[in-house]
Order: sequence, then structure tokens, then C-alpha cells
Amino acid sequence: MTPFEYMQAMAELWGRGGKDFAAAQQNLFFGMAKAAGQEGASGALPASIFDTEGLTQANQAFGKLWSSAIELSQTISRNMQGGETHDPIVAGLLGKIFDPRAWFSGTDGMDQALQRMAEGPRLADLWDTERKMLTLFNAWTALRRCSLEHNTVMLEAWLQAAGKFAKNLNEKADRMEALGSWRELLALWVETANTALLETQRSEAYLKSQRKILMASTDLRLAQQEIATFYSEMFGYPTREELDDVHRTVTELRRELRALQRMGRQAPVKRDTPPETSPRRTRKQSSPRRSASS
Amino acid sequence: MTSSGAPIRIKPDQAIAEAAALGEKIARGAALFSKLHDDDVAIATTPKDEVWRQDKVSLHHYRPLADKKVVTPVLIVYGLIGRYTMADLQEDRSLVRNLLNLGVDLYVVDWGNPSRADRWLTLDDYIDGYLADCVEAIRERHGIDKVSLLGICEGGVFTTCYAALHPQTVKSMVLTITPIDFHGDTVENRLGHGFINLWTRSLTPDDVDRLIEAYGNLPGEFMGSVFSQMTPMRTLMKYNLDLLEVVDDDKKFLNFLRMEKWIADRPHHPGEAAKQWLKDLYQDNKLIKNAFMINGRQVDLRNLTMPVLNVFAKDDHIIPPATSQALGAKVGTRDYTELALAGGHVGVFVGGKSQALLGSGIAKWLAGRE
Repeated sequence: MTPFEYMQAMAELWGRGGKDFAAAQQNLFFGMAKAAGQEGASGALPASIFDTEGLTQANQAFGKLWSSAIELSQTISRNMQGGETHDPIVAGLLGKIFDPRAWFSGTDGMDQALQRMAEGPRLADLWDTERKMLTLFNAWTALRRCSLEHNTVMLEAWLQAAGKFAKNLNEKADRMEALGSWRELLALWVETANTALLETQRSEAYLKSQRKILMASTDLRLAQQEIATFYSEMFGYPTREELDDVHRTVTELRRELRALQRMGRQAPVKRDTPPETSPRRTRKQSSPRRSASS
Repeated sequence: MTSSGAPIRIKPDQAIAEAAALGEKIARGAALFSKLHDDDVAIATTPKDEVWRQDKVSLHHYRPLADKKVVTPVLIVYGLIGRYTMADLQEDRSLVRNLLNLGVDLYVVDWGNPSRADRWLTLDDYIDGYLADCVEAIRERHGIDKVSLLGICEGGVFTTCYAALHPQTVKSMVLTITPIDFHGDTVENRLGHGFINLWTRSLTPDDVDRLIEAYGNLPGEFMGSVFSQMTPMRTLMKYNLDLLEVVDDDKKFLNFLRMEKWIADRPHHPGEAAKQWLKDLYQDNKLIKNAFMINGRQVDLRNLTMPVLNVFAKDDHIIPPATSQALGAKVGTRDYTELALAGGHVGVFVGGKSQALLGSGIAKWLAGRE
């Protein structure tokens, strides 16, 4: 499945599923929103309770860009062999090199890592805690939307790289120079694409969208933990907070133990050198640069 | 496209010949791969003995490989991002072996595998606790007052802080690929260099706190993905083109696999320590300002009164040279030396020429300070 198909499927799933579910459960949500004190003046559900609109918009933007990328990829591959008869092996190779899907497979490492870390257990059977689940749902949707927005930034970078590459090839053609092997071809593409990617990484748009993904994945993780805490408390299992508290206590006790052990070791030891002098005093005695600057 | 001519003229027979050669290469690589065992890609194989342990941290003493020429023991300190095994990747690419062969008495500290349970460990614990205890253990074993320190990357920051807080216990200090001025990436602003610095500054302190709140630590997998972004096309091509280049060459193929093994072994960074690393150092740049605090004490770089050798890689994209070189203007010793080596962050340790120069350069410098 291509990133576009994947995102499209996700958006449709959440969009349709979410709306159907919302319609079916409207009364329940209304009661819940009322209980939670979020009821609007008109009695409608709060806007934030189901947020799939942003995902749909992000999906549309990505889809538009993806179509351009595919078209450009095909044009480059088609035109690079000029008017000569197309060789199927070369055509296949070019198709693979300039397929924007390859770009995503190698450059969305952080996105994948974050999603793997954030998704964890699906907790699909925990539908009793509606409000928490809605928060979780929205956090999930937000992560997908941010991921889609980030992919859009990456796709723009790909388009730039592909455009520069085509320009380079045109210039070579004008000079009557030709690339004679797939290695030369690939080397030129790698150099062009690498520069484009590195330039993109320094852009505000890239840093901003990546930060949004990071924060969205963090929010999703925290929303999941809230549900896990709810059930842990219900069934008498230790919560994450309680475990953290225990670990903190153990760390502090170990810290104290180490300090006591150190004091015990140092007490009977007699060394040739005088006891530890203060850093400031040592510095004054033997720090010519500091003296010069002071 | 213009009508001047096709920019690519790969003839079908040439393409077929290339494909056939590639097929043969892959077949030879597959045969080689089928004969491999775990031992063939073992890393950090230089013999050593555990001499001290506390919690998950252990101290090891390497067995000598030559007559001792540098009497003062040297403690290798790696950081919490990655593992010390990079200094002993394989027999012919090992800083550890190079130093042992040149008569240096070597120790190494292994921080172990921090888990979520270690979330509350701070840099104070690592620097003023475990590292201080390792130094103490070596001093006691040898009946000496001072040891030498060899810090690598984040470990170099640990040794810098320790040496500034306890200069009376440090004979000399070697830093390799160590960031001191965390905003030094802006000096050269080279494309593709210093992305971690830039990326960290794009976050807010609250972002970092929330990240650690959610995960408890800085996951190794996460840091791995940040590093991968720094060499985007290399990451993209690594398992097809790079691997294809070496797949039928026993030695190069094993080098490749051992490096992959080291990269894959990326421990989690304890959460509270990660907050200090990202916020106090990467964001607020407190170390170079003498404003970083450990256990309530100021880390003043002017207290670095022992001889200092600062080694950096000229093409280091993770720790740009200026971030390391900034130390020169801040130390309190006249005996400050810089050694600039060709290559990148990891290449200095495992690259053909640089790793040899690194070992001999350090050993010679240490011997001159005995």
C-alpha cells in the first residue's frame, strides 16, 4: 500500500466510522458532554469531541501533491530516454529510482519509530470509558493528521529534488553529455536528492511539522496511559504513576546508599595528597588563562 | 526535455551485462551469508575483567597486550547514547586494542541497559556518583591519587564535568568528538551538519518534559531515528546499494555487519538525565557558560587545570568541530592540545587511517605527560 493509499484509507476509516459512530451514539455523547460540563449553548456536542475534519483536509492536500509527484516521476522516466526506443530494463530501473514511494520508505524513520512507540496496545476492548476513549481517538487522529502534514512537506522536497534532477539532465543533454550506466545515473540522483533533503530538514516547515508529530505521539501515549491507569485502579493493579513513584524512591535510596558507602570508604583512607581543595582555589593557583582574563 | 539528445544512453546489452554481474555478486554474497555465525560478527572482543559493579554500572579492566609504557591507568568513558563497544568494534579497527598494543593501561565503564525503572537517574548520578566511584575504584586498586580519563562524545561531557569538579583526581584528560559549545553548530552552519542541535532547539523545554513524561526515558529507537535523518540518502540506500557494494567481499561484508550490530545496540537514555542533556546543554548551552550544575556545584571549565587533549573529526556531522574546539578558550590549563582527524563522527574510530592515528596520537600524548 502506498503512503497515499494508506493515509486515504485511514482518513476514510476515521471519517466515515467516526461520523457513523457519532450519529449512533449521539445521545450517549450528549449526556456525557453534559455531565462533563462541556455542553455548548445550543446543546450540541462540543466541536472538539470528534475531530476528523483536519485529517480530511490534510489528506486532500497530500493527495493533490502525490498526484503531481507521480506525474512528474512518470514524465522524467519517460523523457529521459529521449526519442530512442524504450529499453524495458532501463525503463524499469528509472521507474524505481524516481518513484516517490522509495523516498518515504527511507526517510520516515522517526515517524515510524514514534508511531510504533505510541501505538502500543490497541486497547480496543476498553469501550466503557467513553470520555477517555474519545480523547484517545482524537489523539490518534491528530497523530495521523500530523504525519500526513509531515509527509506533505517531504513530498514537496521530493518534487524539488526531481525538478532539479530533470534540469541537470537537460543541461547534460544540451552539452551532448550522456550518462552511460545506471551507477552514474544513481550517483547523480543521490547527490541531488541528498542536498534537497538536507535543505528541507533545515527549513522551518520541516522542523515545525516534525515537532507536531512528536507532540501528537506524546499526547496519544499519555491518553493511552490515562485509560490504562483507569483500569489498573479498577482492578487493583499498580498504575504507571505508582510504579514511577516506587522507582523514584528506589533511585533516591540507592543514591543515599552510594553517598554513605563513599563516606565510609573515605573516612579511614590516608593519602599523600591534601584533602580535596575547592575548585575555585585550585583554579586560582594554576589557571593562567583565567588569571589573564580576570 | 530538450531535443538535443537523450541524457541517458544505457545500451540494452550493457544493462544486461550489469544485471548479470549483479546477480553473480548477490549469489556470492548469499553463499557467504549462509556460512556466517554469531561469533563472526562479535564486537568488543578484547579480553577484559570486571573489577567493580554497582546497580547496572560495571567497570572493566582490559588485559594488557604489551609492556606498560603509560603507567597512569586510563578510564574510557562512553556516553549513554550508544555503547562503548564502538571503541572496540573489531580487531583491526579498535581504539582499545591500539592503545593496549602501545602499552596503555586501560579501563572502561559500561553503563548497562537502563530501563524505565532508571527513569529518575540524573547526570549528577552518572557523573558525581557512578563515574566518581569508578575513578575511586581504580585509584584504590593501584594505590594512586590520579587517573587519566578518555571521554567519547556524551562521555566526554561526563569526563569534562567530573574533571572540573574533581581536578585533584585527574592526571590528564583526553576528549574525543565531544560537544562543549552546544550552539557551536551555527559557526560553520554546514549543510547536513549539526541537525541534532537544530532539531533540539526547535522543541520547547515543555516538549522535552512531556516526551519524558510519556515514555519515561529517551528511547534508543527514537535517537536512532534522529541519527538516521542526518544522513537521509545514505539511510535510504544503505541496505540496497551500500550492502551490494560489499556483499561478496568477506572482510567488507563483516565490517558492515559489525557496524550494523553496534548501531542496533542503542540503549534507552534515562529520562531525568535526558532532560538535563537536552534542556540544560543542547537548548540552554550551560556547559560553555560555566552555568551547568552537578549536585549543586557549578561546573567551571576553568577548573580543568590538568593537560587536555581534544580530538575532533573534521567532517563530524553530529558534533561539528566548532562545538568541540570551543573548549580551548575556556580551560584553565596551558597544556591544551587539539588533534583534528579526517573523517566523520564514527569514522574516526573505525575508519582505516584515522583510527590508527587516533590510537597512536593519544598514546604518544599520554606518554608525554607521565
